[in-house]
Amino acid sequence: MLEGFNFRIILEYMPLYGKCFLATLWLSGLSLFAAIMLGVISCAMRLSHSRILRGIAGVYIESIRSTPLLAQLYFLYFGLPTVGIMIPEWVTGVIALTLNSGAYYAEIIRAGIQAIDLGQIEAGIASGLSYFQRMRYIILPQALGNTIRPMLGQAIILVKDSSLLSLISIMELTRAGQLLTSERFMPTEGFLTTAAFYLIIYYMLKSFSSWAEKRLIFREAY
Amino acid sequence: MISFKNVNKWYGDLLVLNKIDLEVAQGEVVVICGPSGSGKSTLIRCINRLEPIQKGALIVDGMNVHDRKTNMTQLRAEIGFIFQQFNLYPHMSALGNVTIAPIRVRNIPKGEAEKLGRKTLVRVGLGERIDSYPAQLSGGQQQRVAIARGLCMQPKIMLFDEPTSALDPEMINEVLDVMRDLAKGGMTMMVVTHEMGFAREVANRVVFMDEGTIIEVAPPNDFFTNPQTDRGKYFLSSILTH
Amino acid sequence: MWGFYFHELMRSLPFFLKGLWMTVAVAGLSLIFGSIIGFFGGIMRAGHNKPARLIVGVWVDLIRGTPFLVQIFVIFFILPGIGIELEAFPAAVIALTNLTASFITEIVAGGILAVPSGQKEAATAAGLSGYQQLRYIVLPQAMRTIFPPLVGQYVLLIKDSSIVSAIGVVDITRVGWLTVQRIPEGLMVFGLVGLLYFAICYPLINLSGYLERRMTVVSTKI
Repeated sequence: MLEGFNFRIILEYMPLYGKCFLATLWLSGLSLFAAIMLGVISCAMRLSHSRILRGIAGVYIESIRSTPLLAQLYFLYFGLPTVGIMIPEWVTGVIALTLNSGAYYAEIIRAGIQAIDLGQIEAGIASGLSYFQRMRYIILPQALGNTIRPMLGQAIILVKDSSLLSLISIMELTRAGQLLTSERFMPTEGFLTTAAFYLIIYYMLKSFSSWAEKRLIFREAY
Repeated sequence: MISFKNVNKWYGDLLVLNKIDLEVAQGEVVVICGPSGSGKSTLIRCINRLEPIQKGALIVDGMNVHDRKTNMTQLRAEIGFIFQQFNLYPHMSALGNVTIAPIRVRNIPKGEAEKLGRKTLVRVGLGERIDSYPAQLSGGQQQRVAIARGLCMQPKIMLFDEPTSALDPEMINEVLDVMRDLAKGGMTMMVVTHEMGFAREVANRVVFMDEGTIIEVAPPNDFFTNPQTDRGKYFLSSILTH
Repeated sequence: MWGFYFHELMRSLPFFLKGLWMTVAVAGLSLIFGSIIGFFGGIMRAGHNKPARLIVGVWVDLIRGTPFLVQIFVIFFILPGIGIELEAFPAAVIALTNLTASFITEIVAGGILAVPSGQKEAATAAGLSGYQQLRYIVLPQAMRTIFPPLVGQYVLLIKDSSIVSAIGVVDITRVGWLTVQRIPEGLMVFGLVGLLYFAICYPLINLSGYLERRMTVVSTKI
């Protein structure tokens, strides 16, 4: 397999890979940003005192967690046009990724908040801090430390999930590999190059994760 | 039986055992005491190679402990080790705990091992707890099971690493009683402990260590009433005031 | 119109149930094989042999750092290049087994490393060999930490199995995709797909959560 490895083809397709690499980063980045915001909002709803808000968030989160992303993606891709919503595929893709990761982020944040020792909150109440003050000075700073690693883990998952967008014809890294396969019959060169690019993103995110943890742990020492 | 000759040990750059020379004869009971960080636990953990040494020779029952060619299984079968945290196997009953090594290491048939196990558990006062699990036993009972576990291998030497330090005060005596019995029965013992009463009663010698070095070695009465070194005096004054 | 399509959908129900069975089968087989491989992988990963630890570590990293879609394309398209001709179903099982094994390796390694070191010391001091320690002392205790995540693993497997539809395996997702070509009501068709996945995953997620809570209670008692 490796003797016939055609590096020249890869060089020829490198501009395409470059564009697709950026596309993957862009699609993942946008979805990540939106997903975190959605996650924070859903988590707030999930932990609120209103049964209605809790219910809505609950239904949303549990449906996402119990179904595969691909099914959710196809649901939007095939379903939205039937109710008259005509949007470009990449928007559908970003919406699917956002909705999916948003639910997981909601759970991560919830776990981070609930992991905080009740005693500290009681101490805050006892010393007269208001709900918002407790949130700001006691709960959220610690939740941040708890959740950095799982949040970056979910970011890595999101980047890998973006590969599914290739199945609705969006031009990103995996699609580049598919093109090399269908146009030039070179799946080896195609998909191994794709894999290599994903690994680059993976290791970048992993080192960012370690760096971020070190900086935050230092902060917590205050 | 146990012989330390110029034993040195480092953790990285830190010297934790400094030129240790010590001989322990068969049937002797040696108590090791000293401030925390003095290296006393490290000392006995080297005897069955739970910790390696970098320099010097440690000979136990004629075998060089830190020689690659030494059969550690054989050596360890002759040494019983009692931990401060008991380290009983939580998923086995008391009987299970005391028989696993005789069955798997000494290859004694299960029936025989269980007979021996029951006898030993009775001997340490736990005849009614043979089928109990560690979670159902008090600290003192657990440590006695641990001692029985060591005894079931019928070792030549028993090592104790602060056996009562993790126990509530009212349970310390039940464990010390068992240890006293062992000592009177002629077992070769090395005990790291703060229990001076015990040392006075059964120890042949007390070894006082500080900062990885042996400072004083003397029979208990001599050491406790008339320590020869300043550090020895300081140590005794700080522990005997409570 | 809507009524007509709904009627058509109900007539396709047997097709969906066949897809359901395919999903369960692919995921089930992969779980079994993946667990066996992952079990040994975990023991190696937690062991003293440095080269073994390293190799297993690299393998796990490669699988975690690349999207499953790319992995399954690699197995399906590239293996024929070195002489291994594969049909879609075996390729899917191999890829999914590989994925599962890598996750279970980490779970098992984590469980083994979580056994208190005092246990291993006591076993060493008693003269038990490495194998004996693993078999009688370490593994029985590690199983408690390992078992609950295993159920969660099956849920993940069922969801990831949807991706094998991309190489033509006729699972629930593929049935949906094929059906929506005939019955262009994306919301209905994939709504049914989602329902089927939900019916399997939701109970399993709750079971996994229940098991995790039970295990934590038991350990704190000791």
